[in-house]
Amino acid sequence: MKDFVISRLGELVEELAKDDEQKKAWEDFLIDFAEVCGKTDFKEELKAPVSNLLQHISEKELSDGIGLLYTKIDNFPAVDVYKALVEVLGKKNDENQVRIAELHDTLAELSTPIIQLWQDVLLAPVIGTLDSQRAQNMAEKLLESIADTRAKVVIVDVTGVSMIDTIVGEFLIEMFSAVKLLGSDVILTGIKPEIAHTLVKLGIDFNMVIIKRDLESALKYSIRKFAKDAEIKQPNPKRGDADEN
Amino acid sequence: MKTKVVPTIKLYDYLIVPIQIELDDSTIEKLQMQLLNEISERKIRGIIIDVSMVDVIDSYISFVLSETAAMAKAMGCYTVICKIQPQVALTLAQMGIKLKDVFTANSLEGAIDILNQLD
Amino acid sequence: MMDDKNFNDIDINVHDYDIVLKIKDENDIAVSRQMAKSFAQKNNFSLADVTKIATAISELSRNIYRYAKEGYIYIKKKETEPGKDISIEIIAYDRGPGIENVERAVAGGYTTSQRSLGLGLSGIRRLMDSFYIKSEVGKGTVVVVEKRRRRF
Repeated sequence: MKDFVISRLGELVEELAKDDEQKKAWEDFLIDFAEVCGKTDFKEELKAPVSNLLQHISEKELSDGIGLLYTKIDNFPAVDVYKALVEVLGKKNDENQVRIAELHDTLAELSTPIIQLWQDVLLAPVIGTLDSQRAQNMAEKLLESIADTRAKVVIVDVTGVSMIDTIVGEFLIEMFSAVKLLGSDVILTGIKPEIAHTLVKLGIDFNMVIIKRDLESALKYSIRKFAKDAEIKQPNPKRGDADEN
Repeated sequence: MKTKVVPTIKLYDYLIVPIQIELDDSTIEKLQMQLLNEISERKIRGIIIDVSMVDVIDSYISFVLSETAAMAKAMGCYTVICKIQPQVALTLAQMGIKLKDVFTANSLEGAIDILNQLD
Repeated sequence: MMDDKNFNDIDINVHDYDIVLKIKDENDIAVSRQMAKSFAQKNNFSLADVTKIATAISELSRNIYRYAKEGYIYIKKKETEPGKDISIEIIAYDRGPGIENVERAVAGGYTTSQRSLGLGLSGIRRLMDSFYIKSEVGKGTVVVVEKRRRRF
């Protein structure tokens, strides 16, 4: 079969493909095919050539090509070639799944950035739809950033959020309470009219946080607060002279 | 003074309490008595409990911490809990637990600032 | 001692579980907490979820110790589908006095103990992905909870 394929190479390639790139791809494949023909681990050896071929032609074209070769070549091992094809496609599919999962993670990562705005101020802009998984990931990330930076104020901006339902509202309340437990203040900004409307209708009460109209007023508020804290700290008389006992 | 479950440090008239042991139920109760004794014997006006090494704070530990703070308050002493681990804070918040009568801070400096402002 | 337990409609086969803990004194609460923590860590749960699982077990063990005097905690890893993410199942079982009003106990803010917030059961339910409780006065209580591993 090997000799047959090599001797009729040009003819087969003409029938298998029209444009030059595909012809070249089929030619390479048939040479590789002839090479591994008759080997014991034929199917395994064929995977690499099949996978190379798939970079140039579609699955449909490859499938049609295998059908054609089956009629042209006596004893063409169609079953093994198909097996190799199916396994290659399966592996490709797995790789795609992994890639999709990675992209999903990257997207989640990108959509919940945490930015250090000022020495003691973190900004967490929330963009898009919050589901419970994303909300939990965001809460974990935000709390860790607070613990790392020891930020005193966290501004959570929800301008990019289109809706808040009871579940997301509860998650936000939990996140805000957790931030308070760490000893930082939360300023919530960017609540749109339709969100304010649903919040009140649903009875979600963000009473544990300071709410400001926008980022600018949130920043102004934080800076004023720091200035006030510093003032209190300034006149720090020596204290605690009395020794124990 | 009786043996201490947690070694403490006196700074000005504040007491720093770094918890570096597993908080089982009997330990936390002993700690409560120890702190109340120290408040009165060492003339403490503020307690700073550092829980950065505590991996789990459940509802009972929270209860005893709040209770201790309320008792300390009755003796004229404020309580600040500092450096709660982020995942512990999340867990407490999700359970709906509030630490009544305590202030929280994310650093020792922050805790001292709070106490300074309270005087 | 380690026989299969049967409690109404729940059969517990001890051999199915990775960890079986007997809770009978105060120290066992802290022990169960540590065991749960290392088990969840070993199974690659996120740090936050490890803490939630350890906290839930701490609550369950304390409930056993406080109200039933003794009982068991069973912990196992569950694989829903091969290749899919896993979950941890925890069962707390005792033959104590049982809970008179389960609904009220689970709603939170209610306790029969003087030294408690009454947030144990309601807290566990909020920390876990699934929560089941069955209690009969005079017979005992069983709580089954599950936490799925989240991608992080």
